[in-house]
Amino acid sequence: MATNAQTMTDTSDTLVSQTAVWKPVVKRSSWEQLKRKIFALATVRRISSVLIFLALWTVVVRFIPNFHQIPPPEQVFLAIFKIKVSVFFFEIFRSLYRVLSGFFLGILIGFPIGVAIGYSRILNYLLFPAVEMVRPIPPIAWIPLSVLFFVNIESQIIFLTFYGAFFPTVYNTVGGISGVDIRLPRAGMSFGVSKAQLLFRIILPAASPQIFAGLKIAIGITWLMVVAAEMIASKGGLGYLIWYNHTVMNYPFVFVGMGTIGVIGALCSVGVDRVGKRFTKWLDIF
Amino acid sequence: MAPEQYDVSGVIIEKPSAASKVFNAKNLLKVISIVSLFVLWALLVRFNVYRFGLLPTPADVLTWGIEWVQGKLFWIDVAYTFARVWGGVLTACLIAIPMGLMIGWNKVFSDFTFPMVEILRPIPGIAYIPVAIMFLPWEEASTAFICFIGAFFPIIVNTITGVKTIDRSYFRAALCLGSNPRQIFWHIVVPGALPYISTGMALGMGIGWMASVAGEMISGKYGLGYRIWESYTLIRYPLIVVGMICIGFLGLASSAAIRYATKRVVPWRKAITESLDESITKR
Repeated sequence: MATNAQTMTDTSDTLVSQTAVWKPVVKRSSWEQLKRKIFALATVRRISSVLIFLALWTVVVRFIPNFHQIPPPEQVFLAIFKIKVSVFFFEIFRSLYRVLSGFFLGILIGFPIGVAIGYSRILNYLLFPAVEMVRPIPPIAWIPLSVLFFVNIESQIIFLTFYGAFFPTVYNTVGGISGVDIRLPRAGMSFGVSKAQLLFRIILPAASPQIFAGLKIAIGITWLMVVAAEMIASKGGLGYLIWYNHTVMNYPFVFVGMGTIGVIGALCSVGVDRVGKRFTKWLDIF
Repeated sequence: MAPEQYDVSGVIIEKPSAASKVFNAKNLLKVISIVSLFVLWALLVRFNVYRFGLLPTPADVLTWGIEWVQGKLFWIDVAYTFARVWGGVLTACLIAIPMGLMIGWNKVFSDFTFPMVEILRPIPGIAYIPVAIMFLPWEEASTAFICFIGAFFPIIVNTITGVKTIDRSYFRAALCLGSNPRQIFWHIVVPGALPYISTGMALGMGIGWMASVAGEMISGKYGLGYRIWESYTLIRYPLIVVGMICIGFLGLASSAAIRYATKRVVPWRKAITESLDESITKR
């Protein structure tokens, strides 16, 4: 498509390529570039935002009586070095395993259902109202029933993470498919594509930006679910780590656990984003 | 009743009668869908497939639900949960919307605050439960705090996006016509961001309801989430399902209320709000 656009601009002077943005090329050594980046005013401000937050945290903890139980930032920082690495990584992998298996299970079941609802009108009428009935119930409210239903604690937690991932996947797949520009399938049909080609070559690629937006929401909710489920099920994982350290009044570790969840959650959502970018490379052209 | 007929370029099109608008194949399928959900549930429980026998039947849920709704306790629970969620979410709105507007509008303010928002954002609201219990003196506030944290980030991120997507030429036009920053703020930044703010608030409301359940399960004396957990420990299983349905309904109603209110406030971009809702809020 990129080559197409170029040939177009070559042949006709009325069409202007929207992709070509010319920037003046000034050669700088990489060290100079780095220096410029570091000492730019914006970067200094950005770093100072973190410092301001830390200062606020310290002041609040020191001077407001209600907050005295919250450890000041330096204690949290020192607590990082007291972690038993093997135990800590074991908990991380436990949580990650639960999140990812729930997430992929959600995709495995939610995506085909979403495609069915979005693609077929009859299946839409047959499935969508039922989905719509169950959706408003927040996944956390399912905790007691899943504890009741599943014998195995691991499968309880994976069911909850799956449930958290299921609805965003279904909804955004349906939304993405129904939002496809009708001209694209029509163009495809006038070229005589088969039904399978219509779905896999035209509709799904066109819907993929929103599908991946849904997956990004889904992975966020699975992390939320895993923390809640682990706090209540108390069988390992980062959520349990937080809760356990809270009950034994080891407060700095609570914050370390929260930070770890934040970092790994962010990494997961960046990962989903990266995969999404790979699948929607054509977006860069527009 | 003969359907009214009208003629479009030689093709006779039958105008659908009122009866056929309600009783058609489409609505029949929809009804089948909902009914089969309940029938499936009842059958699974009745014939004890895997461990479904442990779950309550729809009939049980209905009878318990009717009984529970007539009692006083139900309304106390609803009032507590409602107050916590709305308190938390509205506080989040009060802080997140002005902050988001400023971050989107002012580069310097954005540099000073946005990195920290981005750093704190991935931590799920539920992970704050121990912290909330640590520093808040009463339990009511701790659940409201969880709702606040849960709702804060969707609202602020959507507000920032709303300001960033305002057409730059509005700002230039306003500057050309000699408006001062205050006028730009009130006449361009705020109205321009409103559709996204509405989406963010509806999204925040949903997450607030979710967070409230977790907060109440872990700490609290009243509230629907607490009642669900208590019903589990007291082996009154039908009440769990009744509570779930109540939470789902109230959450849906809250989001719908926000969407309706903002639609009244932002009539000029109704179409845009609706398409945004389609793409973002549908979770």
